[in-house]
Amino acid sequence: MGKYSVVGKSVPSVGSPAMVTGKIRYMTDLKQANMLYGKILKSPYAHAKIISIDTSKAEILPGVRAVVTGKDAPTERFGIYISDQLIIEPEIIRFIGQPVAAVAADTLDIAQEALKLIHVQYEEMPAVFDLEEAWSTNPPAVIHPDLPQYKLAPLNAPVLEPDRPNVTNHYRVYEGDVEEGFRQADLIIENKFSTARIQHCCLEPNICIASVDPDDVLTIQGTRQGLYGTKDLIGRAFGLPPSKVRIITSHYIGGSFGSKFMPGVDEIAGLLAYNTRRPVRIAYTREEEFTNGGTRIPAITYIKDGVKKDGTLVAREMKVIVNSGAYAWRGAVLARNSSFGAVGTYRVPNFKYDAYGVYTNEEPVIAFRGFGSEQPTWAIESQMDMIAEKLGLDPLEVRKKNFLKEGDVNNTGEIVHSIGARQCLEKVAECMKEDGYGKTQKEVNGPWKKGAGLAIGNKFSVAPAAAVGSVKVNADGTIEVRHSADNFGQGTNNVMGQIAAEEFGISLDRVKIIWGDTSITPYSQGTLSQGGTYHTGNGVRLACQDAKRKLFEVAAKKLNVPPEELTTSEGKVYVKARPSESIEIGELFTMISFYAKPGATIGTFVENVGEIIGSAVWIQKYVPPDTETGRIPLDVAKQGIRLASFFGYEACGVEVLVNLETGEVKVTKVVLAEDMGQPINPKLCEGQMEGGFVQALGSTLREEVIIDKGKVLNPNWRDYKVPTTLDVPCGENFKSFITPVPHKDGPFGAKGMGEVVMTPVAPAIANAVYNAVGVRMKHIPMTSERVLKALEEAGKA
Amino acid sequence: MEQPLKLKVNGQFYEVFEKPWRTLADVLRDNLGLTGLKESCDTGNCGACTVLLDGKPVKSCMVLAPQAKGKEIITIEGLADQDRLHPLQEAFIEHFAFQCGYCTSGMILAAKALLDENPDSSEDEIREGLSGNLCRCTGYVKIVEAVMAAKEKMKQMKVAKNNSS
Repeated sequence: MGKYSVVGKSVPSVGSPAMVTGKIRYMTDLKQANMLYGKILKSPYAHAKIISIDTSKAEILPGVRAVVTGKDAPTERFGIYISDQLIIEPEIIRFIGQPVAAVAADTLDIAQEALKLIHVQYEEMPAVFDLEEAWSTNPPAVIHPDLPQYKLAPLNAPVLEPDRPNVTNHYRVYEGDVEEGFRQADLIIENKFSTARIQHCCLEPNICIASVDPDDVLTIQGTRQGLYGTKDLIGRAFGLPPSKVRIITSHYIGGSFGSKFMPGVDEIAGLLAYNTRRPVRIAYTREEEFTNGGTRIPAITYIKDGVKKDGTLVAREMKVIVNSGAYAWRGAVLARNSSFGAVGTYRVPNFKYDAYGVYTNEEPVIAFRGFGSEQPTWAIESQMDMIAEKLGLDPLEVRKKNFLKEGDVNNTGEIVHSIGARQCLEKVAECMKEDGYGKTQKEVNGPWKKGAGLAIGNKFSVAPAAAVGSVKVNADGTIEVRHSADNFGQGTNNVMGQIAAEEFGISLDRVKIIWGDTSITPYSQGTLSQGGTYHTGNGVRLACQDAKRKLFEVAAKKLNVPPEELTTSEGKVYVKARPSESIEIGELFTMISFYAKPGATIGTFVENVGEIIGSAVWIQKYVPPDTETGRIPLDVAKQGIRLASFFGYEACGVEVLVNLETGEVKVTKVVLAEDMGQPINPKLCEGQMEGGFVQALGSTLREEVIIDKGKVLNPNWRDYKVPTTLDVPCGENFKSFITPVPHKDGPFGAKGMGEVVMTPVAPAIANAVYNAVGVRMKHIPMTSERVLKALEEAGKA
Repeated sequence: MEQPLKLKVNGQFYEVFEKPWRTLADVLRDNLGLTGLKESCDTGNCGACTVLLDGKPVKSCMVLAPQAKGKEIITIEGLADQDRLHPLQEAFIEHFAFQCGYCTSGMILAAKALLDENPDSSEDEIREGLSGNLCRCTGYVKIVEAVMAAKEKMKQMKVAKNNSS
């Protein structure tokens, strides 16, 4: 790790002082002249027909500038995998909270008042909330009867099931023959696991300001993740060409975790902006974040494993049912992506994986940190401990016996490269042993029982993916990097800056980052699917190399050597073999001055060239797998084609205390070890590990958006409790290790790391709870109530 | 309707005309442009809007602006001494104690009130004292580390100040 001068160093962000003095401007702090405030009227019914809407009283309220309903919105459906959405539905309501109308007014108070004056008549329809009922061939409600006619994404088109009318996607991965595998097995273990809805609870809610410029460009500035994806979606929602849509991030965003990669406020603000020709701001309240901001995807996972006596896996069959909510949004995508999470860690010769995205009359779901690996890892890693126990084997050894290894072919046909699962898990196990996890009961009082557990998680980054970097060399030797990865706290700009600083041999403060505006910064898929560092980092690094080539061509003429013999550091270009033959970057520029004062310029340029700008694209190539088997052929895999760009790994070990009288679970010690490839900034990596652990801790023990017949019952932080300082072990009781396995295609060997941090935590805690009190929890969150019930059922309370 | 209200914020006097039912958070942000404090939950659960009233931390979304009349209000903008950062601000940078930064101003002011009241706060007391301030990014580990480090620095500075006077 010592071979680089900036990469691999924990350099604080250049903008840090502004962060601690209140000077950073978030979206919530931004206003525009002549701006209106928008509010959305939402449906109180889960499934209903709109009979009539009377907006006349709202329209005449002083200060109201526009009232829009579904009749004012474009009628062409849009979406991600399935075009099933409209900006505002004119006829059918499919979930409680669905927008019915929206108002723009001079003040927020007036907008709120106007909502009360809109009268809507509904006719309720039968609804379906139970996931397996919705999935069945005879569901109580068909949520999108027009689904067979909807437009589907051309690449990785979801597979619909004609006899299951609410299924949005059926994704399969089949290898070998599971039935034969089960016949060969000495032990078969079969279980059902499930996960609840959790909310991202970003400190900053979704906020945007939409405006229509004089040249008819719809500009939306907001708390947005994935600018170019948003641009495309907004363009399709309004039927606008790309040149007429501009998406700008608020530059600093108060958290995302996947939640800000979905419009919601944007398109309604846009509709109001078209109707008023004034800027319109919409901000979700905390309650709206819960009811409309989307949640993590509740899923049911059936898993059946066949193993030999020595712990070798011979067959695994999984069925995953994904609650998509009322629109396909991310649910149909998860049906596919969860297969990658399921195949990323272990070698199973006979494998059958069926995942279904399913519509219900609940709030639509969105991506959540760990997307695609969270649900299968929860099932698989609980199952691995149960296998070890039944066979009387060490859980660590059972896992190690089955790990995929470098060069193996996984269940989707990919050739495995850069897998640190073993390193991570061994590091965690070693630390747990040294620190005596779960070993002594003596300091434990009364009803508390102590236990320890571990698990390993993976997280892939999807392919195909691409990111463009743009890099400019300035006359003062500073470097300007333009990129469109998102920056909501994880340190994206540090990473891009450190990569550029390394390439140019300069310090981080000599790199200026410009990001987040589709009119200024080049295409990137954004920071999603754990791919910011890998994809956009690669784009930026290649662009630096392109800029250096151009820089050396200019310098070569002045130094009278071929460009290949040149290199650069600290603002100079010099001959590699003879560093004393050098030229300052500034000397390559011509200065224009009208002033008498020496050195004063009104501008600079490079003769015959203009500006020194490097531009390059990183592409993760992809071939769609066979739809029947979810696999790519070996000859394709050998060309370096993958379905996932890379896999990152994290192992988690915990010590817990479980209260036999109340069911409460407390985590008292934590150890994490993560393989993210080369860490670009180790302290920032540690921050992701710690933060991800705590977010996962909340979702494992406590957090749950409670929905009754489609209605969210706890849309606030009184009734939905996120972890506080009191829930987290600190100091010596929380250890994070970096156990990197570099990736041949990553920038400086880096992969990605901000999502895998969620995945091993729930099963590690469940395994520790089992170790402490002998009850196996199969649903998260394992609230005190659920643990107590399980203890009572086992006669242990 | 709107009434005149005089507030002392970060050592300076301001006069605003506002409805008496406006919260201190709204008046500081919207009328005075002190946007360093953040509103996130509006129910007093998250602490992102924490400011100091006569040295005590309050959630400014839970305080009506007129209730702050005659009190010394300190916001994050008033913590640094010109360009010299407060030891807590320095420690938050050195220890990577923020990610998105949205909770940071409230967290730092809550920590300041805590250390002003008890300069010898233990790690457990710091965790207890910050438990009303939510952070969704950092997992709190580095925040507690930073406050512990700032505590030592603040004690040293106090000793140095006493010695020099």
